[in-house]
Amino acid sequence: MQSSKKIVVLGHFGVGKTSLIRRFVTDTFSDNYKVTIGVHITKKVVEISPDDTISLILWDLEGTDDIESIRNAYLLGTHGVVFVFDITRPSTFQHLNNDLKIVSSKIPNVPFLVVGNKTDLVAPSELKSVFDENNISVDFFTSAKTGDAVNDLFSKLANQLVSDA
Amino acid sequence: MLEKYREQYINRSIQFTFVDQKGIVVESDEVLFELKTGSSIYEFHPFFESLGAILESPEEEISFHCVHLSLEEDLLITDIKALKKTDGLLLIIYDLTQHYNSYQLATQARNESIIKTELTVIKNLELEERELFKNRFIQNFSHELRNPLTSIISIAKIIGDTELNGGQKKMLDFLMESSDNLKLLLEDILSISMIASGKLKLDVKIFSLYQLLELLEFTYSSKAREKGLEFMLKRNSKIPEFIEGDRLRLFQVLTNLLDNAIKYSESGKVSLELLFNQKRANRISMRFQVTDTGAGIPEESLTTIFESFTRLRSSEKQGGTGLGLSIVNGLLELMGSEIKVDSTLGEGSVFYFDIVLKYPLQLASKSLLKVADKKQAKIKKPKEGVRFKLLLVEDDLAIQTVLFKFLMNTKHFYVDFVDDGDQVMSKIVSEQYDIILMDVKLPNTNGDEITRQIRNFPFKNIKDIPIVGITANAYEENIKSYLNAGMNAVLSKPFEEELLIETIYKFLK
Repeated sequence: MQSSKKIVVLGHFGVGKTSLIRRFVTDTFSDNYKVTIGVHITKKVVEISPDDTISLILWDLEGTDDIESIRNAYLLGTHGVVFVFDITRPSTFQHLNNDLKIVSSKIPNVPFLVVGNKTDLVAPSELKSVFDENNISVDFFTSAKTGDAVNDLFSKLANQLVSDA
Repeated sequence: MLEKYREQYINRSIQFTFVDQKGIVVESDEVLFELKTGSSIYEFHPFFESLGAILESPEEEISFHCVHLSLEEDLLITDIKALKKTDGLLLIIYDLTQHYNSYQLATQARNESIIKTELTVIKNLELEERELFKNRFIQNFSHELRNPLTSIISIAKIIGDTELNGGQKKMLDFLMESSDNLKLLLEDILSISMIASGKLKLDVKIFSLYQLLELLEFTYSSKAREKGLEFMLKRNSKIPEFIEGDRLRLFQVLTNLLDNAIKYSESGKVSLELLFNQKRANRISMRFQVTDTGAGIPEESLTTIFESFTRLRSSEKQGGTGLGLSIVNGLLELMGSEIKVDSTLGEGSVFYFDIVLKYPLQLASKSLLKVADKKQAKIKKPKEGVRFKLLLVEDDLAIQTVLFKFLMNTKHFYVDFVDDGDQVMSKIVSEQYDIILMDVKLPNTNGDEITRQIRNFPFKNIKDIPIVGITANAYEENIKSYLNAGMNAVLSKPFEEELLIETIYKFLK
């Protein structure tokens, strides 16, 4: 049986979680911002190797600036986490290290990727320095709009999930 | 009857489904969607793939709120309750689509508004930072430019006093004209930067408007004559002689407008008119109007000519930076007025502004004139043969040479040099000086700091030595801070020989 892994996608509202998933699953993008309430769940089968696939069940959670308030039921049985922030809005990453601590305590011992989204809005030269200065470690800088690094992000997570299994 | 309504409004929006430990549908009432008995619920929607985790968890009952179930045709937004039973899971699925749709609309409006506010704040901060950077850059740039420019202008003047042949004199005239233009350009750039950063404050005082107009008439009649133009000044007789305003800035506005009028007129005349609008209490509204017979301004350019660095015609002959009208615009805004223009192509342009200023109601003009004149009174020159001891504190060798030459020309000074801030105190303690001429920016200790030390010195003969500061840092706030430190006067570079010497004379006893 094909293995299936639950991934929760978290972060503040308006950071582009839904757009990242849509880009990954259907390779589309819309500029219209529609707020996610509750949870949307989609599925995508990812090829790990020519003989091996994995089914990613992506839980797109409603954005919140209070990570503590995320309902525990949504996190039950999670295999991996993607934490997304918006690189153009400091409010979405100014407490990032603290937010990550909270998530880790709620979902311990699972692979975890930190993603700065909306790179299409910032000059590449400015990117790394801002986060290095603020001691923020980022795994991927993505753009759901252009698709930049989106597949890489989910592939990396899928591979981590397979190797951890 | 209530049972009937319960059936209609509640029971039809709640589905009961029972699945076994492997997720196979045992029974479903299919109120909301069809789930075939014997099928795997995991295949129905990815949400249900998480049921395995529920079975493994120690919780007996778990609720999921606001779960979106995209079915073939519909989107159901549901709350799902999973209850563990001995032989499987009971799922109770509530259809709350309508309720959650209205919640979504409210959340959408709230989040959009928060994001919009946040982005606006960020954008404003960015603009402020950029503006700050720009103004700091201009300040530093003008500072760096002032020292070499002072040397150029002063040395050119010294060369002008020596014997030169015709060709050399002509070249020197070009050199002096170019440096004068550079000096004006520097002042324009500083004005723009000060207006933009809000650092420029109006210095409102009573002054003679008639005198200002006479000065303009004198200056621009000759400028117009040089170009073969006629110059005319008209003033309405109801305009009072004395008004309260910033004389320097009004002068700057009018000279910019008149310079442009002459620059862009090849023939005909340029006029400055002062028209009366109305008087109320001690306020007068009047219109300043500058008319030229130049080529006129195309309609599409009328809105852009007041922006910085805009020049209508890029003719090299006319020169200029395109900052003039932008300065006019900024200064008039500060004065609560606005520059306007009417123009006809081929006929000329009229630039005008209405301004309301206070004027003194009951002051005898003669006594007032004395007050106004007092500041402009000629400084008394020292008697022939009298010499003063001056300490010159300057680290730039070129400027030191120029200043020395200026001072020697007067035959009224013995000059001692110091080029390091740290040497000043020991020098003035060991020697008696009548005055100190000191650069503000010095190695080790700056001029303003030395001034503070001198003013706090216990002995009167040292404490009271007059100090004239010289600085390339021409911002008003800097000059004020040097004066507050105790300097008697501060001259900004590049300065004129005459002004420098007169300022020194003013403080000699």
